[in-house]
Amino acid sequence: MRLMLNTLLLVVAIGLWGCKQEDKRVSMAADVKSDNAAVNIVTKPVIYAFSWVAGEGIEIDRAVTYTNKDGFMELTVDGHNRAFNTIRFEYKVEWLDKSGVLIDTATSKWLQTSAAAKAPFTIKAVAPRTTAVDFRMNTRKIPK
Amino acid sequence: MIKKLLVFVLFALSVTFVGCSPKTENIDTINDQGKPVMQLDYRDFDRAASQMVQSLIASGSLKKEGGGKYVLATGRIVNDTMQRVDTDQLMAKVEKELMGSGLVVMTSTVSGGTSPRDSMVYDVRDVRDSEKGSEFKQETLQAKGQLIAPELSISGKIIQRNIRYDNDKQQVEYYFQLQLTNLATGLRSWQDETIIGKRGDRKHVPW
Repeated sequence: MRLMLNTLLLVVAIGLWGCKQEDKRVSMAADVKSDNAAVNIVTKPVIYAFSWVAGEGIEIDRAVTYTNKDGFMELTVDGHNRAFNTIRFEYKVEWLDKSGVLIDTATSKWLQTSAAAKAPFTIKAVAPRTTAVDFRMNTRKIPK
Repeated sequence: MIKKLLVFVLFALSVTFVGCSPKTENIDTINDQGKPVMQLDYRDFDRAASQMVQSLIASGSLKKEGGGKYVLATGRIVNDTMQRVDTDQLMAKVEKELMGSGLVVMTSTVSGGTSPRDSMVYDVRDVRDSEKGSEFKQETLQAKGQLIAPELSISGKIIQRNIRYDNDKQQVEYYFQLQLTNLATGLRSWQDETIIGKRGDRKHVPW
């Protein structure tokens, strides 16, 4: 009975350890934070290979728009990099007016950004016309 | 016989080399997938201008209290790179976007350095004040005291730094710096910097 109780406690403890939530706002690099499966010298190649095979990469968490006090729409895109390596990519934000027509602007160009391994990132953009009410954003790999 | 053979070989070689020469093709300036180059190219100016304009608009420095638009002049943009850069490659885009924002109007009467100024503004006045002025219908000539002075000036600098990265590579850093100055007070209300860095073969000369 006592053995069963001890086993149960151990399982619960392990379970709770596994469930420990880290603050998502803080990202610790693999070579900074303490050892885990992702950085352990034995398991690291497997985990990294899995990440590569699974095609882990950039994910967008949310896109927030608001109109600033001068009447220009501002965009903030929050995302995170699920991969174990830094990912550099290009993005282009295009602005649309209330009719859904593309606004011709020299600010809608391919701009470069970078997301550190397993870390969040933020992209910000400002519409250059007060007529912008919506946006669309494309991404692509950086040409080599 | 040998002569014929030589001619044939030369002909075959020339045909081969013509076939190997790279084709000329137009650049897709909207979605250019071309390799980066060590020098500044149009993509770098596009990026710098885009980031500068967004930063300036977001800063709120161009919003005129009480409404209306500021009159903006382009001041001196210094090219401190090793390349022959026409700074209008940057400023033409910035000016276009700032005017498009509805926050400012640009003046062509005064500018700094080699920034664009329309000499016709003064030429027509020279004509008006000369004997030739009497040849024109007087009401079509520009009256005195009509020019509007700029309230703000945008000036800046493009800087290049070359750094030896390792035995085979060099690092070239380009700094695009712009600043906005209120001409009445001399106070600077905005400034920003965009850095474009490139690493590549040391043999590639970035000028």
